[in-house]
Amino acid sequence: MRVEPFDTQRAMIFNRRALIVAGGAFGLFGGVGARLYHLQVRAHDDYAALADDNQFNQRVVVPLRGEILDRYGHLVATNAQDFRVVLIPERTGSVAQSLARLEQIVPLTEAQRARVLRDVQRQTAFTPIQVAQGLTWDQFAAINYRADELPGIQPEVGMARSYPDAGAVAFVTGYVGSATDRDLEAAPDEETKLLYRQPGFKLGKAGLEHTFDDGLRGEQGSMTVQVNAHGRVIEEIANKGHAPAQGESLGLTIDTELQRHTLEVLGRDYGEYPEDVEHHTSASAVVIDAWTGDVVVMASAPAYDPNDFTSGIPASLWRDLNASPLKPLLNKPVAGAYPPGSTFKTITAIAAQEAGIAPSTRFHCSGVFNFAGNPFRCWKRGGHGSLAMEDSLKHSCDVYYFNLATKLDIDHIADVARRYGLGQTYDLGIGAEAKGTIPDRAWKAAYYRSTPANQKWFAGETLSVAIGQGAVTATPLQLAVMAARLATGNAVTPRLVRTEGEEVIAPPSFARVSGDTDDLDVVRAGMNAVVNEWGTAARSSLQPDWMMAGKTGTSQVRSLTRDPVTGRVLSNDELPWSHRDHALFVCFAPYDSPRYAAAVVVEHGGSGSKSAGPRARDIMRAVLEKDPGNTDRHRLWRPGMKPLRPGLQTASLGAF
Amino acid sequence: MALALPDRRLGIRGRLMRLNWLLIALLTVIASIGVVTLYSVADGSWSPYASRHVIRFCAALVLLVGVGITPLRFWLWIAYPAYFGALALLLLVPLIGETNMGAERWIAVGSFQLQPSELMKVALVLALARYYHGLEFKRVSHPFGLIPPLLMIGAPTGLVFLQPDLGTAILVALSGFSVMLLAGLSWRWVVVGAIAGFAAVVTAIQTGLIQAYQWGRITAFLDPTVDPLGANYHANQSKIAIGSGGIDGKGFMEGTQSQLGFLPEMHTDFIFTIYGEEFGLIGALGLLGLYFGTFLVAMNIAMRAKSHFGRLLTMGIALTFVMYVLINTGMVMGLAPVVGVPLPLVSYGGTVMIAMMGGFGLVMSTWIYRNQDTLRTQGAF
Repeated sequence: MRVEPFDTQRAMIFNRRALIVAGGAFGLFGGVGARLYHLQVRAHDDYAALADDNQFNQRVVVPLRGEILDRYGHLVATNAQDFRVVLIPERTGSVAQSLARLEQIVPLTEAQRARVLRDVQRQTAFTPIQVAQGLTWDQFAAINYRADELPGIQPEVGMARSYPDAGAVAFVTGYVGSATDRDLEAAPDEETKLLYRQPGFKLGKAGLEHTFDDGLRGEQGSMTVQVNAHGRVIEEIANKGHAPAQGESLGLTIDTELQRHTLEVLGRDYGEYPEDVEHHTSASAVVIDAWTGDVVVMASAPAYDPNDFTSGIPASLWRDLNASPLKPLLNKPVAGAYPPGSTFKTITAIAAQEAGIAPSTRFHCSGVFNFAGNPFRCWKRGGHGSLAMEDSLKHSCDVYYFNLATKLDIDHIADVARRYGLGQTYDLGIGAEAKGTIPDRAWKAAYYRSTPANQKWFAGETLSVAIGQGAVTATPLQLAVMAARLATGNAVTPRLVRTEGEEVIAPPSFARVSGDTDDLDVVRAGMNAVVNEWGTAARSSLQPDWMMAGKTGTSQVRSLTRDPVTGRVLSNDELPWSHRDHALFVCFAPYDSPRYAAAVVVEHGGSGSKSAGPRARDIMRAVLEKDPGNTDRHRLWRPGMKPLRPGLQTASLGAF
Repeated sequence: MALALPDRRLGIRGRLMRLNWLLIALLTVIASIGVVTLYSVADGSWSPYASRHVIRFCAALVLLVGVGITPLRFWLWIAYPAYFGALALLLLVPLIGETNMGAERWIAVGSFQLQPSELMKVALVLALARYYHGLEFKRVSHPFGLIPPLLMIGAPTGLVFLQPDLGTAILVALSGFSVMLLAGLSWRWVVVGAIAGFAAVVTAIQTGLIQAYQWGRITAFLDPTVDPLGANYHANQSKIAIGSGGIDGKGFMEGTQSQLGFLPEMHTDFIFTIYGEEFGLIGALGLLGLYFGTFLVAMNIAMRAKSHFGRLLTMGIALTFVMYVLINTGMVMGLAPVVGVPLPLVSYGGTVMIAMMGGFGLVMSTWIYRNQDTLRTQGAF
């Protein structure tokens, strides 16, 4: 064998280098092994925890909202099956195309489309984006049927807040909506924030939904899901987490049947407008159970539909609701403050008796009362002649109360008004309660804070207040409370919630209204005369079925309108709708054993006796008919008697 | 006895008898681990990876034996043509190459995708071994003796770098330099080379020769806090998966991190991650042991080879193999930048398999012809 001379040398060097390199490689392998040891043994716990974080996610499960029930357990607010449609961008060929095809079935607004396209940009492609909810069955079925043509469009069934009675109880229940940025800021903790961010979660935005939100909301559940790197849920891990608990139900004092009936009555035509006058219905009514303070009816017409709010109200509808002169978003029974007009005479009458003026005291009415050189006119131009207190109420004589006013102190009248429930709020939980105005010296001083010269109270002002004009205002709720207090002598306070969850809230036992309640007898007798003895509201009588006592009121919306040519004061019949007087009526029944008290206000109704009174009559008839407590003494349903209210069922009496 | 026969006289049967079965066994076990892991990656399915991996390995094994029983003289003779052939393929890449994830690395050969850069690594070692085989030792460190190997290394490195494939470019260069080192390059030049290499990297970075994504991965490696969810996402997720595996692993097909898609490229560059997660420290150290064992077997062959060509060739191949393993495992465990280097024989990929098994075929040839020391040469070229 031939060995080249240099080969031995380079072989030696090769071997040495090979060993060096092998040593280096061994060292590096050792380094990799050490790294493995570090990762898999020493830092194993940390990495195992990180791995769990990676693959397990805690998910919030939105609880079902508690139901709201009426007095008889009828559903007022519930959670109904809701047909929705979602879009999963990654499954569409083209988002635009899928949307366009969907729009052939479900019309979308520009805003909806923009929101969907924005979400497509923002979210991962497998996250479903809600396109529309509240679909009709036909739309839902069509989407299912045409699924092949709609890649990435997925119909879903979920639960959404639903108000079966729509507008009837809207102002009491309020509505729900998705959490806003402000809600998120106000959230007490991170867990709540997380709940707020859930797509299906709604919280109470107004009314009782808002006030009782904590109870109605329920307890959120949780579940643990395994997710992949993109956050897509692979599976739910059983036995980890807990189920959500549905919110507590809320039982209202409202009777939805009567509520619907009342709304229908408020919208009825009672012939108070001449045919050529364009008129609208903007009215409210409150009926209170005078024994318990339960608000049985609280109706505001026109009403809005809270279902519109659940899925996000369209901007145009919101604009219309806000712009309407009929103020459909204003809860008139509690937020509408009206001059009480002659209904306030009951207060003045009580104040007079407390001031020592005997009810038998007579004053003469010639149609005009001169005070400090100014004529104060009675509504009856010819005058009422000589009247005592009871008849003054029956005929609603203004001059009689001008006479009383000259003998009364304004602070005293205000005090009586407050004792009988005016000038205060009752915190019913539906918000927006107006306090109304009961003027007295302190009020005027505060009102003219910046102009001390105007702070003095003038006796002439007391004359206006005595007949419920001037600065006095009251809400229909306050007037109904006043009627209940006049009827019973008890300091009735209204309430809207009878049960919270399992708990039945006992009605409070009311104290007597302070002062001598014997004074009420004359007022009550006067109110009975108003209705049943050919007084101003004779057409509102419920005889022979019941004796209902009441008091009409007509309050000026603007100062007297005169004919521009002749200077003659125009009557309501000659004015456009929006210039007409408000019509009011307060009442209670049965007269000898009062159970229900009510107030009806018809905006621009013209006169209490023509507009508000007859409506109150038809509302009260239904209320009394339905009252099971009247079956013995004030029984209505005699065999063979025809139903007085078509469409109103009485079957639910069994719930009592 | 067959072993005593002069190498020149070996018949086919004799050569087959002289096969190094330990080397074949080690490679087969490593590839089997690849099959098992690829089966797991595919969520317990033979398709699409595991079955094809088996077929490829079997084909590559035939290739290995075929190359192995081919006389070493042939490989010496074919060394330069093979190198230029591989270089030509590399040049073809920018012309007819297929772009994959922003880099042109592949050319289509029929229905196969060929990655010439992988073939180049073996071809370069082959050519350099050929070069030093015919070079007088005293000329190894002579400047003139230095220029040809540097050109041989520089050309493919540059081409691969421009694809751009930083990881393979570094590997190509390192395998070339390792052969130079083994050939006995004086340490002075080694130091100069290291400094020059460092300067080249700095220059490449500063002149923007390195692509943004490569730079991002390197900076992320140097300071993982810079962009924890960005460039270093792969390495972080990989560390979590391996670390959560613990000592005995989560078990076959139980690797949640890998299976749930937290890791990309699980079947190729990051296959060690799922393996480490499912088989734990025991499994991972076992695999590393197999790799190192393979290296030692090859080194043994190299040191027993009587021809300088055989020695350099075998050791060069063995070191290339080891560098793959070290860079890949270092990369998935956050010790090295994420540069896209597969784990040989385990990662799914045909060209790497063919290149590596072909390379070991050359090692096998060196083993069979280990006693042949009189390879006739006509100088370095």
